[in-house]
Amino acid sequence: MLRLRDIGKSRNGYRLLVPRLDLRPGQRLALVGPSGSGKSTLLDLLALVLSPDPGGTLELTRDGRISDIAGLWRHGRQDLLAELRSRAMGYVLQTGGLLGFLDVRRNIGLSRALLGMAEDATVQRLAERLEIADQLHKLPAALSVGQRQRVSIARALAHSPAIVLADEPTASLDPLNAERVMQLLVAQAEEQGACIVVATHDEALAQRVGLQLQRLQVQRSGAGGVLATLLEAG
Amino acid sequence: MGLALMSQLAWHDYRADGRLSACAVLALVAVLAPLLVLFGLKFGLITSLTERLERDPGVREIVPLGGGRFSAEAIAELAARADVAFALPRTRQIAATAELSAGDRGVTVEMIPTAAGDPLVAPALLPLPADGVLLSQRAAEKLGVEAGDRLSAAFGRQVDGRPEYQRTDLLVVGVLPLGAFPRDALFASLSLLEAAEDYRDGLAVPALGWPGRSEAQRSARVYPGFRLYAAGLEDVERLRRYFAARNLEVATQAQAIAQLRSLSRNLSLVFWIIASLALGGAFAAMTASALAAVERKRRALSVLRLLGFSSTALVAFVVLQALYTGVFGLILAWGLYGAAELGLNRLFQQTPGEYACSLLFGHYLLALLATLLCSSLAAASGGWRAARIEASEGLRDV
Repeated sequence: MLRLRDIGKSRNGYRLLVPRLDLRPGQRLALVGPSGSGKSTLLDLLALVLSPDPGGTLELTRDGRISDIAGLWRHGRQDLLAELRSRAMGYVLQTGGLLGFLDVRRNIGLSRALLGMAEDATVQRLAERLEIADQLHKLPAALSVGQRQRVSIARALAHSPAIVLADEPTASLDPLNAERVMQLLVAQAEEQGACIVVATHDEALAQRVGLQLQRLQVQRSGAGGVLATLLEAG
Repeated sequence: MGLALMSQLAWHDYRADGRLSACAVLALVAVLAPLLVLFGLKFGLITSLTERLERDPGVREIVPLGGGRFSAEAIAELAARADVAFALPRTRQIAATAELSAGDRGVTVEMIPTAAGDPLVAPALLPLPADGVLLSQRAAEKLGVEAGDRLSAAFGRQVDGRPEYQRTDLLVVGVLPLGAFPRDALFASLSLLEAAEDYRDGLAVPALGWPGRSEAQRSARVYPGFRLYAAGLEDVERLRRYFAARNLEVATQAQAIAQLRSLSRNLSLVFWIIASLALGGAFAAMTASALAAVERKRRALSVLRLLGFSSTALVAFVVLQALYTGVFGLILAWGLYGAAELGLNRLFQQTPGEYACSLLFGHYLLALLATLLCSSLAAASGGWRAARIEASEGLRDV
């Protein structure tokens, strides 16, 4: 679905290099590496919110149609990228990223509303699976951190995206809650047949929920610069 | 992306931010309400002054100065002009007096010709019957007569040093109010004035049975002047120039009309100076508040961006909130203006039907359009900044 070849991203003496990465339906990946290794940067590249350096290939295939993402970035087609993002991606942020002025039901339904999808039982069903069905009418501020993460997961899945990206989704949760939330995320993504990519520093948890580890290796270069390379899955 | 979804999101945020939204609305009201009152006062004042001038026929009167020589045809031509409401020949001033008596009371009055269409006379009183006349209020009071009474009019002349008199009986058809004519006067048909002039010239008036010389071949009558009223206020100056071009000096109220025009112009100028100062300030405040709102909502906006909302949608988010402020501000300002209008009109009421402060429906509409336009323009800079927010920025500050 998403195909990367020799994609790089440099900023402030830091350089991320992705020689080869393919995302396929049903795939379950965990990006692991020390902090500062560029897990979030790679996720942003995958989420089409960060432009790659010139050169290399970054393509998204949907319904048999291939979009040249690197080319869209070069031509500054922000709105086409936004459109692709809204259809193909679900994104779970480290700290919720919920809209404080919308109640939980509207927050979850937002990704569907944006695509003009009809209201159906999806939001209710997701809320039940994620154990937040009794919170639907509340504002995010009234929820615990763990509940907010579940709402965020529900929103990332509500429009049935092909790819679900999660950036340290459990970093701000206690271990018990973290385990439960991670299980729910993986189980729901699996149920929808979505490809899931989780950036996390908790390798043990990633392995316990059945994610395949993919490591970012960090090398320090002479002048205080950092080169991070995504190693082949293995 | 539907506009409906965006206006819903903008509305939810606007409500959640209730206190700040209310402040923005009140700031706008503080500018709009005084401007509406100021404009209402200016418009009401000028309208009632104009109406007052239009209602007073004396303002539209054009009086020829000095003696002239006009034929009946020339004056009929004047009366037929589109910018002339009423024109009627006058006989010589010196011949146009009459001594009226009723019972034991008498008064000498000037005689003024009248006919259908005379703006000084209520239309129902015209035309006059053959022996019918109108009296000015002062003359009627001196004689102690009312409409429907009869009186006797005497016209005197000197023939070879001997005084002679002729009398005729007249019916008082009506009395003109003091506002219409302030002096002692008799309004009669032109034929009575012509008869008096002929008699005083020593001629016979067969219609009334008055003796005198009879002229076998009399030349066409020449009138020294006329009564003339312009059709509208703006016609007065045009007619003045028309007569000036024909070397005829006239007295008009063109000055008073020009004064009103210049008062209206100057008040408009004052209003627009105040309005542009106030609107300039409001515009700056609205721009600042839109920019501040975008800074405050940076995180929410970048989340929307991450979800895949377009730049247009983000601009709409900011501009729609400014429009909400505009609409609420204007509704509130209308309400306050309405209360002020009621109070001011009660305070300054002089004549029924005259309002010190008033706005037309079109003015309300104009205020609405101008407010919405200014609101969205002021918010545009904030919207432009919002459109440039990257999805990746601000996502990770906790």
